Amino acid sequence: MSFAEAAEQHLDDVYGYLAWFTGDRGVAEELTAETFERALRLWHRFDPKRGSVRTWLCQLARTVALDHFRSERRRVRREQLAAATERFDERFADSLSPDLERALRGLSAGEREVVALRVLLDLDAGSAARVLGISPTNCTTRLNRALRKLEEALHVAA
Amino acid sequence: MSQRDVLAELRTAQVEAPAQLRARVRLIAAQAPSGTHVTHGSVFRAEAQPAPKAAASAPAPPNGRVVRYGASLRLRVAGVSDAVKRALHVTSALGGYPVSVHVATAPHAGTAQLVLRVPRAHVQEAISRLSALGTIVGEQVDLQDLQAALNATDRTIARLQRQIALLRAQPQTPAVERQIAALTARVAALQRAEAATRRAAHYATVRLALVSGTPAKHTHYVRDALPWLGGFAVAVLLLLAWRLARRLREDALLRNP
Repeated sequence: MSFAEAAEQHLDDVYGYLAWFTGDRGVAEELTAETFERALRLWHRFDPKRGSVRTWLCQLARTVALDHFRSERRRVRREQLAAATERFDERFADSLSPDLERALRGLSAGEREVVALRVLLDLDAGSAARVLGISPTNCTTRLNRALRKLEEALHVAA
Repeated sequence: MSQRDVLAELRTAQVEAPAQLRARVRLIAAQAPSGTHVTHGSVFRAEAQPAPKAAASAPAPPNGRVVRYGASLRLRVAGVSDAVKRALHVTSALGGYPVSVHVATAPHAGTAQLVLRVPRAHVQEAISRLSALGTIVGEQVDLQDLQAALNATDRTIARLQRQIALLRAQPQTPAVERQIAALTARVAALQRAEAATRRAAHYATVRLALVSGTPAKHTHYVRDALPWLGGFAVAVLLLLAWRLARRLREDALLRNP
């Protein structure tokens, strides 16, 4: 598979993952472009024996997002501004109900990313665990915890 | 709403990348070379096995592109001190300089490790002349293309400069001025990093290991291996500790919504 084919095939996955992980579509667009720039530089290192292209791209996207979170935290600390004030697009997906949107917003970034990987991208536990750098059991536990929180939030909203 | 319902609704979510992002990623992907023999952003690595007597041959650096070039040579020589002097002479004659020289001599054996910086244009000649100092025991060449990274940095700088221009066109509030200052500082940092990369790529690094005499017979394998095993165990523990610390930092970072 060429890089162009991989980029075309998995762009939505990477963007979706980053949009849910960061909770901000504008930021997700920037990070997606950065992920693919990095992927192009590192394409020669991709080894299909060690996992799928999608898993590899998600791993890169996660690194890019963590770098962003770190720099954002430093910037916010420096400027004493809330990062939330800069968000301009709050929706995760058009088909979700407002209650579920709010419930998703209430999750931590770490919980949202596991939901994005396991539910939105439909990765199996092993692949998602590889992206997150944790064990499959731990990954499943995180997913269950996140789903339980969503369920509770929706129950309160109802 | 049960967990199953939550999951079902979440599974209906479709997130599609916007058209402008798709166009941007296609532009990025268009820079990837076609074919399987990638020269763009790739690392060539070649390791020669013991004892060819002919001069080492190094692949030529691609012209017109910025590359990081490194070579390692292991040679068996008749006299270490004499070989070191000649290696330094070859280096300075080609416009290079030694970064470090470490020589250890004993009555029947001697070793030397040299790290030399040679202008990239003369690196092939340098390797050829250095390999003539003795018998080649091992050789390795690393060639890494830096052009793609520099192109990406150029694009980032251009994007930031466009953002700065847009911000300058707005009414200059303290917040806007702060943003301009932050972006300007980022552009300056990127330009500095780019210049440093180009400077570093101008020279190739040649690591030369020289050895003379016959290697001593090792009879106490276990005793000899103990310090290595200890070092290995310490390295593994440090690695585990580092990974744990990184995991804890990431968890703390992702704890907030």
